[in-house]
Amino acid sequence: MPLDAIPVVVINASENSSAADSGLSGNAPVLLREIAELAQRLLASDEASAIDLRALPLTPADLDWLREALGQGQVVATLQAEGESTLSETVCPGVWWVTHHNEKGAVASEFIEVTYVPELLKAHPDDVKIGLEHLEMLISDLS
Amino acid sequence: MQGPLIDTLARQGVTRRTFMKYCATLASMMALPPAAGRAMAEAMAAAPAATKRPSVIWLPFQECTGCTESITRSHSPSLEGLIFDAISLDYQETLMAAAGHQAEEALQAAMKANEGKYLLIVDGSIPLGLDGAYSCIGGKSNLEALKEAAKGAAAIVAMGSCAAFGGIPKANPNPTGAVSVSDIIKDKPIINIPGCPPIPVVMTGVLAHFLTFGSLPELDSKGRPKAFYGETIHDRCYRRPFYDQGKFAKTFDDEGARNGWCLFELGCKGPVTYNACATVKWNGGTSWPVESGHGCLGCSEPDFWDAGGFYKALSMPADPLKFASTAAAVGAVAGVAISFANRGKKGAAKSAHETTTLADLEK
Repeated sequence: MPLDAIPVVVINASENSSAADSGLSGNAPVLLREIAELAQRLLASDEASAIDLRALPLTPADLDWLREALGQGQVVATLQAEGESTLSETVCPGVWWVTHHNEKGAVASEFIEVTYVPELLKAHPDDVKIGLEHLEMLISDLS
Repeated sequence: MQGPLIDTLARQGVTRRTFMKYCATLASMMALPPAAGRAMAEAMAAAPAATKRPSVIWLPFQECTGCTESITRSHSPSLEGLIFDAISLDYQETLMAAAGHQAEEALQAAMKANEGKYLLIVDGSIPLGLDGAYSCIGGKSNLEALKEAAKGAAAIVAMGSCAAFGGIPKANPNPTGAVSVSDIIKDKPIINIPGCPPIPVVMTGVLAHFLTFGSLPELDSKGRPKAFYGETIHDRCYRRPFYDQGKFAKTFDDEGARNGWCLFELGCKGPVTYNACATVKWNGGTSWPVESGHGCLGCSEPDFWDAGGFYKALSMPADPLKFASTAAAVGAVAGVAISFANRGKKGAAKSAHETTTLADLEK
């Protein structure tokens, strides 16, 4: 088949925008109910939980819809660890949107965590000990 | 979360949070519940010290080294490497510094020192034709080498579609008589990690599982870890909703293709292919075939090469065996026509071309 035989049609970006809107699968709204359930569980039994967004059939448009619906709360924490991770609280306190990027900037995993404070943000006692040693060294240098 | 591995990591500048993040992602990739990430982080951090690292022997047979490429070029060498820090890779032809007799001695020494305990990784299929003469290493046929190494192995990992199912060397007409590891070894646990090549994190995931839970992961009926091969590409595909809505791309450049609709009608083998590409993706999570606009080839399934055409929809008759008789009949007719044509050509060539005989030279 000669190359000319393959039709090449340039699509105008503005014409195409309505098609992009149709990327919703309808799987995102039901997640709100699950998140509500997990929030109730957190209140009732202090039990933290998470939803692995990569494990669900969600289109990029679904994820955008969900992100929009949950909104942006007051807290955003970033973690620099082999690529950036962002842990941001949504408009609903206790519901966190956690995105792990790899060192190339691609999303490696994405979760919704329902917890008072994400585990990743807390300092580990062993690390606090190391920090304490460092502090003591700083203090001894003073004299 | 304490232990030798976390200390080793700390010395390499890898913090506890980095490690926890890695484990969370690994658990997600292994389709384990989010809480498993923390369990893995704790167990791996407590992995045994260097002296007790489990020995791993890696044998290459009829292969293209694509599997090794896939593993060694995984996206974050520092972090994937962490897993390899927890093992002792005693023989790997492509990676090892030793060569020739030294290499073979290292292999013998490792097999002897860790008898009954080492993990054997095999990539490539094993040729049985001509008594195995199609592929030999150090004067030993692959068949001999495999049997010898399998004897003392705790378990065998068949890495890639060739080792797992025979792969490309086994494709019709299979000139070398290639077979898979499980066709030969019957008395050892075998984990198949098919794919052409397999996804790097599947390998590290299996090792992480081994280190975390002290056992091999749960396998499906074809010997594949369920965590990665438990669902089809189709079931975890982000384009699946379009399939459910009946929205299909009909050609590679139509409106449906541009809108990212389902590639089923363009021959995507996602519905019958068990693998983790849809969630784990390739090239450091950049993309994967369907996201790039091409259907799945089904490279992690047995005999994918002979499954009837990469661009034929699964709903179209594709099974080459089922339709072999029809094809043979058509082939026979075509063959007759061709031989007639050839005969005609031969005649024409003869009449146009006068051959020189001894008699002519004597003239």
